[in-house]
Amino acid sequence: MIEGAAWRRWVFYNIPLILFVFVLLFPFYWMIITTFRPDGELYRPWNAANYMPFWTNNPTLEHIKYLFEETMFARWMLNTMFIAVVSTVISLFCGVLAGYALARLNFPWAGGLGTMIFITYLVPQTLLFIPLAEIIRNFRLGDTPWSLILTYPTFLIPFCTWLMMGYFKAIPKELEECARIDGASRWKAMLYIVIPVAVPGILSSGIIAFTLSWNEFIYALVFLSSPDEKTVPVGVTSELIRGDVFFWGPLMAGALLGSIPVAIVYSFFVEHYVSGLTGSVKG
Amino acid sequence: MAVTAVSGVEARRPVPRLRRLEDERWLALALLMPTAVLLGLFIAYPFIEGVLLSFSSARVGDAGHFVGLKNFAKIWDDSIFRTAVWNTFWYTGVTTVFKLGLGLWLAMLLNRHFKGKALVRAFILLPFIIPTVLSTFAWKWMFDPTFSVINWTLFHLGLISARINWLGDPDLAMASIIVVNIWRGVPFFAISLLAGLQTISPELNEAAAIDGARPWARFWYVTWPLLLPVTMVVMLFSVIQTFADFQLVYVMTGGGPANATQLFATYAYQIGIGTGLLSEGAAISLAMFPFLFIIVVVQLLYIRRVETR
Amino acid sequence: MAKAKRRSVLKLAGGTALGGMAGILASGRTPAYAQQKTVHWLKWVDFVPATDTMFKRELMPQAEKELGIKVNLETVNGNDLQPRTTAAIQSGTGPDLIMAFNNQTYLYANSVVDVSELAEEVGKREGGLFKYARSICSDGKMFMSMPWAVIGGMIAYRKSWLDEVGATSFPDTWETYREVGKKLKAKGRPFGQTLGHTFGDAPGFTYPYLWSWGGKEVEADGKKVVINSKETVDSVKFMTGLWKDALDEGGLAWDDTNNNRAFLSQTISATLNGASIYIETLRKPDQYITEKGVQMNKDILHAPLPKGPAGQFGFHLLQSQMLMKYSKNQDAAKEFLKWLHQEANYRKFFESQKGFATPCTVKWESDKLWDVDPVMTPYKVAARLGQAPGYAGPPNAKAAEGLTKYIVTDMYAKAVQGMPAEETVKWAEAELKKVYEA
Repeated sequence: MIEGAAWRRWVFYNIPLILFVFVLLFPFYWMIITTFRPDGELYRPWNAANYMPFWTNNPTLEHIKYLFEETMFARWMLNTMFIAVVSTVISLFCGVLAGYALARLNFPWAGGLGTMIFITYLVPQTLLFIPLAEIIRNFRLGDTPWSLILTYPTFLIPFCTWLMMGYFKAIPKELEECARIDGASRWKAMLYIVIPVAVPGILSSGIIAFTLSWNEFIYALVFLSSPDEKTVPVGVTSELIRGDVFFWGPLMAGALLGSIPVAIVYSFFVEHYVSGLTGSVKG
Repeated sequence: MAVTAVSGVEARRPVPRLRRLEDERWLALALLMPTAVLLGLFIAYPFIEGVLLSFSSARVGDAGHFVGLKNFAKIWDDSIFRTAVWNTFWYTGVTTVFKLGLGLWLAMLLNRHFKGKALVRAFILLPFIIPTVLSTFAWKWMFDPTFSVINWTLFHLGLISARINWLGDPDLAMASIIVVNIWRGVPFFAISLLAGLQTISPELNEAAAIDGARPWARFWYVTWPLLLPVTMVVMLFSVIQTFADFQLVYVMTGGGPANATQLFATYAYQIGIGTGLLSEGAAISLAMFPFLFIIVVVQLLYIRRVETR
Repeated sequence: MAKAKRRSVLKLAGGTALGGMAGILASGRTPAYAQQKTVHWLKWVDFVPATDTMFKRELMPQAEKELGIKVNLETVNGNDLQPRTTAAIQSGTGPDLIMAFNNQTYLYANSVVDVSELAEEVGKREGGLFKYARSICSDGKMFMSMPWAVIGGMIAYRKSWLDEVGATSFPDTWETYREVGKKLKAKGRPFGQTLGHTFGDAPGFTYPYLWSWGGKEVEADGKKVVINSKETVDSVKFMTGLWKDALDEGGLAWDDTNNNRAFLSQTISATLNGASIYIETLRKPDQYITEKGVQMNKDILHAPLPKGPAGQFGFHLLQSQMLMKYSKNQDAAKEFLKWLHQEANYRKFFESQKGFATPCTVKWESDKLWDVDPVMTPYKVAARLGQAPGYAGPPNAKAAEGLTKYIVTDMYAKAVQGMPAEETVKWAEAELKKVYEA
């Protein structure tokens, strides 16, 4: 890249980059520091004297303790993890199959269906959640994790399909042709040849679907009601804002700990996440 | 690899052409069935129900009866609804422009080799990965009227003397949610655009430089056109998400102060679930759809035009 | 390499899923509970934390022992009760008993069970149900909910700060309120009031304010919208000036907790509140110390809202319990509710509140609890004197809709943000007409 002298490098590249990284990551630092800060230090007005916001000399675990003792936070984590994993599996299953069908097979309404699936991505969840509540009631799924496990795929599948279509299209047809010449049925060719090659794509879709599930809020807000069924975003929002005291300590602790599973899973699959994201955009 | 896998399959004569066509259709049906069932049951059916709901007078506990377009007339008359429409467009427009600009800048900053590049790339996606509700809480705490760390910093830098009422002043509240949305979206734009940039051969830019083109011209005539397809797709996704945004506003301001940050989604929730006027809530949600549809169609057409250029 | 990674990935995914499912199944419902009666009670997070602690640690276990009913007590932020109720009714499942605020009960009239029997019984036993509670919980034909308590709203103020500007007692007219507030704001100690969309303090201030100027939403027939009157416009004009002169301008974004925190961190000198500020300073006397080194709880007094040209009013939050029609445990819930209202048990609630809540029946007004702390005595008449939204009409579903749409509050909020008084009143009139003439 055409860069030039060292000072130019610093002014035009490094310093802006450092600023970007700082702004993007500072809220997380703030989350961390608030989690470990005792209440007395936390509630100091912004213009009070002796206020050192960026560091604390008395780190404490009281907020985390409060989180686990006074709320069902551990249960929420389990719920969210369970719902995310199962929804992801379902969505991957449907998305891989649908993606293959749309990318590889010739049948009359292929284009139309592809567009339809994309259009469903446009339908906002805030339109659907009211009538969905009734459907959930009719199936007696209200207040169970299944109400979410069956509804999350509605926004995960279009994305997975879209992504897998791109991956499948990139796999050379020759691979399948060889298998078919050797006598494999269409279905077997798909199962044993194409899908294994598309595993990176599957991982990418999976990790993106997983993070999207953790991020969902409105369905969880409306369909779940008992404290022991809640997901982390809903639980943190509804049970840590209490009366007079906003409980920022445990709230930040909840936000921090709630973010960690996603961050960890993401960190194992960064490459896949990035290629999935960019693949979906290029595709 | 393909050969070893196939050797286990028993050899059979090639399938006649007719059978293969039917095979393909049957297979397509089977493969698409799970998706069709799930999406049909949980999107198509509720969508139709939602449309019917918006034509009724249903409220919580009362199924109501058909009232035609009355709900839509009512919300069009509703000044809060009109405010929400304006807010949503403003919010989407401003954030998209900034996310594009800043995202592009960041992508260009990352489009070179330096130590720790992979690490930086991984870290900057965090705002996009972490559940919106949780990171928005962190921002809410940072903007708190009494305890804001931002105010503290500005105060100590000597830039302000009275506190800034981030979430209490109507204009500042809108600015605050815009800031948080941009913060969340820039990584998505940056990473996607970076991938786009990486497909552009550096030789093109070098050739232009040798020909005497200055940086801005190089960007505008070489880089930007090649980046356009990717940019348009990224913008499409982003606009859809931002237009229908709920979580961020719900947590930060709840639509306030005095509806200054009320969007389609939050207003639909407040009327539908908060006040229990289900049919009006559905009407508000449905009203989002035509706008979204037009925006998407326009963008898709533009993409098609760009790609065939 | 790829294969190994794939396998470990699958193991990780599988293990997580299995672990998750095992966790759910293990901690979930065991057969033993299938036989026992359970009641899910949803109430607000009490502004007096001691009450919720008492409920969870004492009263609920006691109920389980005496009635054999396991009570699943859930507390949520007050502002979330309504959405939860609607969502529960829509999905046909949820808490058996839900707390309602004010006349929200009318909005859910079709989805609740009539509790007249219990209400009349308790009323008779305890010297009579106050008119206020009756008008809100009953529509004349049925009791939509069981009255629970009234949260009185009074102005909590810092006595020493008012003394410093020459006000020996709290101003009792809006004019003097504005003058005193002006002096205090000049010293960096404004009054504080919320004009945001929050269920307690905002309507608790704006409705009585409106009434004290002679303004009202509808006529006594409950149909004609009369908010657009000279009295209302005057009140709005005064509010605009009052806001700038005497009030903390951050109040536009406050919810019910912000004024507490502002008062406790000494940035405002007075605010309308339930008694939670005072009770909090009693709870942690050494955490809340004034700038003079004195315990803050010794510097707080309560006073009713000032008078306006048309009198002095108060809008106190009425809490009641709704028994939901979709509930599968109606008998157990009724039994529990009845037990809860037995004097010995209700008293536990009453005493933990220390006067924050005023019961809805006459008998409790003369209870000796009110004499224990003179700072709290003004609250004892909250249930007797409350006036409900929808005045001068009945506090019915339309009034409830107007309340939950924050029309009156927004009328003032808009004016404070710059809209001319006549316009904001016209706007409120149009909005109310839509509600009442729908």
